[in-house]
Amino acid sequence: MTAVAAKIRMRAGRALFLGVVAAAYGFLLLPLVIVVLASFNSGELLTFPPEGFSLRWYEHFFNSEPFMNSLFFSLWLAALAMAVSTVLGTAAALYVVRFAGRWRDTIRLLIVTPLLLPEILSAVALLFFFYSIGLGKTVIGLVIGHVLITLPFVFLAVASVLYNFDSSLEEAARSLGANKLATFRRVTLPLIKPGVISGALLAFIVSFDLFAISLLLKGIGLETLPIQLFDYVTWDFDPTAAAVSTVSIAITMLAVLLIDRIVGLRSLRF
Amino acid sequence: MDHPPIALDSGPAAVAGASVAPRGGRLVSARRLPKNSVLLILPTLLFLACFLVAPYFNMLVMSFRNPSTSAVYAPGFTVANYTRALTDPYYFGVLAQTVVLGAVTTLICVLIAYPVAYHLARTSSRWKGLLYVGVLSPLLVGVVIRCYGWIILLANNGLINNAVKKLGLVKLGLPLMYNSFGVGVGLVHVFLPFMVLPILSAIQSIDPALEDAARSLGASRARTMARIVIPLSLPGIQAGAILVFVLSISAYVIPILLGALKVKLMPTLVVQLLIDAFLWPFGAALAFILAASGGIVVYLFIRATGRLMRGLR
Repeated sequence: MTAVAAKIRMRAGRALFLGVVAAAYGFLLLPLVIVVLASFNSGELLTFPPEGFSLRWYEHFFNSEPFMNSLFFSLWLAALAMAVSTVLGTAAALYVVRFAGRWRDTIRLLIVTPLLLPEILSAVALLFFFYSIGLGKTVIGLVIGHVLITLPFVFLAVASVLYNFDSSLEEAARSLGANKLATFRRVTLPLIKPGVISGALLAFIVSFDLFAISLLLKGIGLETLPIQLFDYVTWDFDPTAAAVSTVSIAITMLAVLLIDRIVGLRSLRF
Repeated sequence: MDHPPIALDSGPAAVAGASVAPRGGRLVSARRLPKNSVLLILPTLLFLACFLVAPYFNMLVMSFRNPSTSAVYAPGFTVANYTRALTDPYYFGVLAQTVVLGAVTTLICVLIAYPVAYHLARTSSRWKGLLYVGVLSPLLVGVVIRCYGWIILLANNGLINNAVKKLGLVKLGLPLMYNSFGVGVGLVHVFLPFMVLPILSAIQSIDPALEDAARSLGASRARTMARIVIPLSLPGIQAGAILVFVLSISAYVIPILLGALKVKLMPTLVVQLLIDAFLWPFGAALAFILAASGGIVVYLFIRATGRLMRGLR
């Protein structure tokens, strides 16, 4: 009798546990699902039940000059920040893992510091600084701000691949007569390529979604997509913002899918 | 080709050769450091010196400058910005509210994240990969979009109020947004993945055999959790809690969109003082006070939890 009762209690406990877990996933994904649903809803407001399928908010988005301009500006900015931080971050990771010696931990900490500092605080610090050196409200200042935040992501992604790197492969290449350059080009680079690519894609995503830095450092008339969206959401409730968000989520998910295909999401460390 | 291969191509290391078996995955030991390898790190160090160290130093100096009504600051230095921020009950109240909201957010995040992390660490479901994406992807979607999702749900004429009114449960709408509840929901949602991931890796590093041993020796599931799993995963909880607390006391977008300036918090106040009121020295001092308060809370937290984790290492 007690054994049965214990079994029932255990089952109930297990069910409760799974229920809590399911609810947590629901909580995590709910706002994203709602935004996507709202973008396809024909009504002005997302009511329950939904009013029917429509693409008119997408049409509104694609015909809206401010939104399209800021979409292309954001893509351009993210690509630039990605390129700069990939070059800097990969070189830095190679140095830190291979050559840094006793400075290794200090340099490592310095490079990831922008991730540990509140983004809004860094934005304020850069705003003051750019004004005093004459870069205030310029595109260069904005790009620098983005690179500051995206650089650690590339660095961490490449460094984690380098740490798991079997250096005997390089030694084999060297002992078989390949010179340093050939070893790097034919052995090292192909082996760290997944880290470099996933770091670059991560940098792209982070820059594409960056908000506080862009808000404080942007020039006049240079709105990134998140800022345009922020302005729109503050004053308007119509689902054009949902269409914009859905396109933005799709771009992010595309990058996530690529990372997953190339290295597997599990290798990402935050 | 993403970077210059110069450093690996030349230098004494090439002469020294790599035939000596290196340890710890390093090809070249610090002693045989090739000279040109510094070129790999130099651009990054210069970049960080110019655009991380210098701006923060500049802001620190700014916080000690004399305020001015006609320019950004007046000549001379003072500590008045700090004393004013710490003695004025208004600013102190905002600081207290920020820290309390951050602490509550952290606590709720632990309570939600732990079951999720435990489940994800121990499940053998074939959906495991998808569940991992479920945890990770909200992190990769912009914070404005995530808040917008909550606005659709929580607004006075939003989805939840709409449904509740239609069902006749309440006459007037529920106040779900533009208060600390709405901001709290947003904070928990946005920062939850930062709690799940460290706890997940902590639990993954616990040998499941330990749990099996405890169970086979007669401990109940709850007792196994309380005596084995949770104590061993404390480092993960600690790391996640620090991350979530620091992030939530410095969150800017979430309070603006879901609190609409009705919930007074430090980051929004600082930006208001800087951008709208142009009080740069005072705003800088407030920013440093916020950072220092966060640091003090984290330090006390580490000391308190360190005592719990003493037996772990």
